[in-house]
Amino acid sequence: MKRVGLLTAAMMIAGMTTVNAQLIDEKDVTVTLDLQPVLQLDMSTPDQIEFVFDDIDEYYAGITHYGATVLKVSSTVSWDLYAVGRSTGTNGPEFWDQQIDYGNSNPNAQPNLPLSLLELRQAQANNGDGAAAGAFTDYSAAFSPSSVPSAQNSLYVNGGTNTAPSTNDKYIAGHAGTSGTAGQDFMEGGSYMNQNGINSNYYYVIDYRILPGLPAIFPMAADADGATMEDLVTVNGAGAYAEPGVYTMYVQYILLEDQ
Amino acid sequence: MHTTPQVKSLFTLAVTMLMFVVAQAQVHCGLVQMEPNSSVNAMMTFDDFTKYNGGYIINGVARIKVRVEDKAVIDPLCSWNLIMTIDNNPAAGTPGNEWEELNQYGSGLGQNPTIDALEIRVRNSCSTSPIDGLFINFTNNMDVIDIIAPMLPVTPAGSCSVNTNGPGSYMTNYDEFNFTIDVRVRPGFDFNPGIFQLNIKFRLEENL
Repeated sequence: MKRVGLLTAAMMIAGMTTVNAQLIDEKDVTVTLDLQPVLQLDMSTPDQIEFVFDDIDEYYAGITHYGATVLKVSSTVSWDLYAVGRSTGTNGPEFWDQQIDYGNSNPNAQPNLPLSLLELRQAQANNGDGAAAGAFTDYSAAFSPSSVPSAQNSLYVNGGTNTAPSTNDKYIAGHAGTSGTAGQDFMEGGSYMNQNGINSNYYYVIDYRILPGLPAIFPMAADADGATMEDLVTVNGAGAYAEPGVYTMYVQYILLEDQ
Repeated sequence: MHTTPQVKSLFTLAVTMLMFVVAQAQVHCGLVQMEPNSSVNAMMTFDDFTKYNGGYIINGVARIKVRVEDKAVIDPLCSWNLIMTIDNNPAAGTPGNEWEELNQYGSGLGQNPTIDALEIRVRNSCSTSPIDGLFINFTNNMDVIDIIAPMLPVTPAGSCSVNTNGPGSYMTNYDEFNFTIDVRVRPGFDFNPGIFQLNIKFRLEENL
């Protein structure tokens, strides 16, 4: 029986050494995704847009440049687009730069012309302004007749900086706030390249108008939220008018991730 | 007439033999192996609109070369299966249906990429996998997709058939035992920018 015991032990050892687990092999493939934000604003516009007022009708009716600027947006993130009036600050941060003045120095002739006298009109309404709180959320309204002063198309200005407008101010697309709800305060990512039809939230045609009026007080000028007019009489008192001369300023278009 | 110790020894011997038989019955193959089984790290960078619009594909991001051998004494039940699972490292707090976030650009107000944005295609010349040539996707962490499903009847190598799972090797039957893996991502414009990661685990095992 001793032999049987030894044989049993030997078989147990042999059995244990040949018992195998299920054969398995593994391989890993790790995929790393680098989603870089791309915000692209393609702009077609002349280097310089000139408004030459050398006819009395032009003072009365203003000069309009239709479709002077075309803005085309491509963005991989939710975005806002706004315009802000700026200058080099020669006459102050919120005024046009006076390059040269004509005539004498009459005390009523005002060299400080507000940047907000420039009016914009966008062909495509802002479809991302649901949460806006101001009277004018974008520049989509038609230019107001010269006899009806209105702040609805007055260019947004913020102390000469490019700081984004508040919920009370104007955006071209999107608006202030981070609700997370499309249409409330941002435009969804996308590109003008794969849009169909004549209207697109990624394509904006901009008209410009300057209406001096007579006397030249720029009746459409207003502050950022449109609550206070900034025409020369309101700001400087009765009798004020724009000093003849050459003035320059620039409009900065800013495309940024929704915030 | 046997004594009690003799009976005990015989009983022990019988049980041992039975165990031996049972234990051996769990293993049908002599070798089950992927070559190489080193890990792969694929980087997909989206930095222009062409990639965002059209997607980014890496053909042949990995090749799974299978080698399954019989034991010395051939077991006709030797067969294998190949599956893939997705892992988004939930221990890092990643929601079940999203890529693991490694870094974020911008405000991060949107949605992190979801797992289903990753599409995977498996192919070989014999189309042995039922999902051969199709871009498919996972939805949640630890989802499993069968390339060659477990516990199928044995389909011997050499016939260039669907679900070939008998012993064989990429060295002798390359078109059946090599699997090329392609990955594609089409993020669109809905996801947060940033760096994100997923791990696809390929698991080859013998069928029990």
